[in-house]
Amino acid sequence: MNGSRGYSDDELMAILLSREVHDGEVSACGALSQIPAAGLLLAKHTHAPDADLIILNTVFRPFQSSRQFHFLAQRGELGLFFVSGVQIDRHGNYNLHQIGSDPEHPTLRFPGGYGGGMIYYCARRTVLFRTEHTRRSLVEQVDFVSAAGSTPPDVLRLGGPSKVVTPKATLRFAADEAQLRLESVHPGHSIDQVRESTGFDLGDTAATPQTAPPTEAELHALRTVVRALMIETGTYARWAERAIAAG
Amino acid sequence: MGVPYVPVLGLVGTDLLARRDDMVIAPDPFGGSTQTVVARAMRPDIAVFHAHKADRQGNVSCGYAAETVILAEASAQVIVTAEEIVDRLVEKESVGAFLPSILVDSVVHAPLGAHPGGLTGRYPVDHDAMRAYVAAAQGDATFATWLDEHVFSVADHDAYVARVVPEAIRVAAAGSGKR
Repeated sequence: MNGSRGYSDDELMAILLSREVHDGEVSACGALSQIPAAGLLLAKHTHAPDADLIILNTVFRPFQSSRQFHFLAQRGELGLFFVSGVQIDRHGNYNLHQIGSDPEHPTLRFPGGYGGGMIYYCARRTVLFRTEHTRRSLVEQVDFVSAAGSTPPDVLRLGGPSKVVTPKATLRFAADEAQLRLESVHPGHSIDQVRESTGFDLGDTAATPQTAPPTEAELHALRTVVRALMIETGTYARWAERAIAAG
Repeated sequence: MGVPYVPVLGLVGTDLLARRDDMVIAPDPFGGSTQTVVARAMRPDIAVFHAHKADRQGNVSCGYAAETVILAEASAQVIVTAEEIVDRLVEKESVGAFLPSILVDSVVHAPLGAHPGGLTGRYPVDHDAMRAYVAAAQGDATFATWLDEHVFSVADHDAYVARVVPEAIRVAAAGSGKR
């Protein structure tokens, strides 16, 4: 719990991600994505009752095989995808592979990007999330490009990055300049704090508004129906018990 | 699929593409104005799968859903290790992915053959063994020792199970699949 605000960073991010879901669209998140999973279920139980959800490796997965999910995305039928990156850079590139300035001798290796190298190009919108907003996670240039934020205009691409959501702020991907800009700063944080914690220049941020805080209705739905559903269906149940307050 | 190459919708601008000599960026051959990555088909020499059940003809019920069929189709030789060998398996009775015998070259009876991995519905991942493997893999000398203990000095699969697989996992496996 985050003191006077009355909600935790995880709860805030789940609510902010839920607002990105459009009713009637197909929206998905990958493995190890507890915050987007909560966000997807919250959207379904608030403003997007007719959204089709795909939460990989859970009961909310309509397919037998990953091929069916990838082909759905290739057909242009995936409206929204949530993904994270160890590093995310100014140009919307993300890194799920390795850390280290010499790519031949990385200091840390990760499991990799699964299908992100194509889903980032096929989902109509991708919203990146990152639970750490620091200069080591939001960087000028990723050490390894697992998926690229933008591509030359003649490369066939159905969609790309839309936003980045962190515990401090929401960044918007400005497609015309192919870089991330500050969209809003979450309650309890200042524009200066966000600039300090970001490893790249955010441009002119003077007029940046505050993020609309979670509403009572959003918090209530998250802490009752969504929390119970996650526990009951084994959808990141232990995380839900710990990270979402019981309503 | 058997085709020489396929288009891939993605990967442009990544360091993955930069490291692959089996993928290139190519124009739409139908006179279009767009480009995509094109990947050369992979034709593995050998594929090895572990499965719940197999029969003597080589029909296989994997017991889990995964892309085993497409891998088996692509590979020149397919070897399946199975927890259990049965007289006859048909697709209707199979659980998860089903490999028809026409795709399978060899079947080996290897109970606990997924260890230190787990097998859906049969036995869990051996996390202690996984941690030991990860620790051993940090250096060449420790990894050589690990290989010696787990592979080179082990006479056969039964000896491996006797030496390495913990009692709790053997019990879990023995108690499963008896329906």
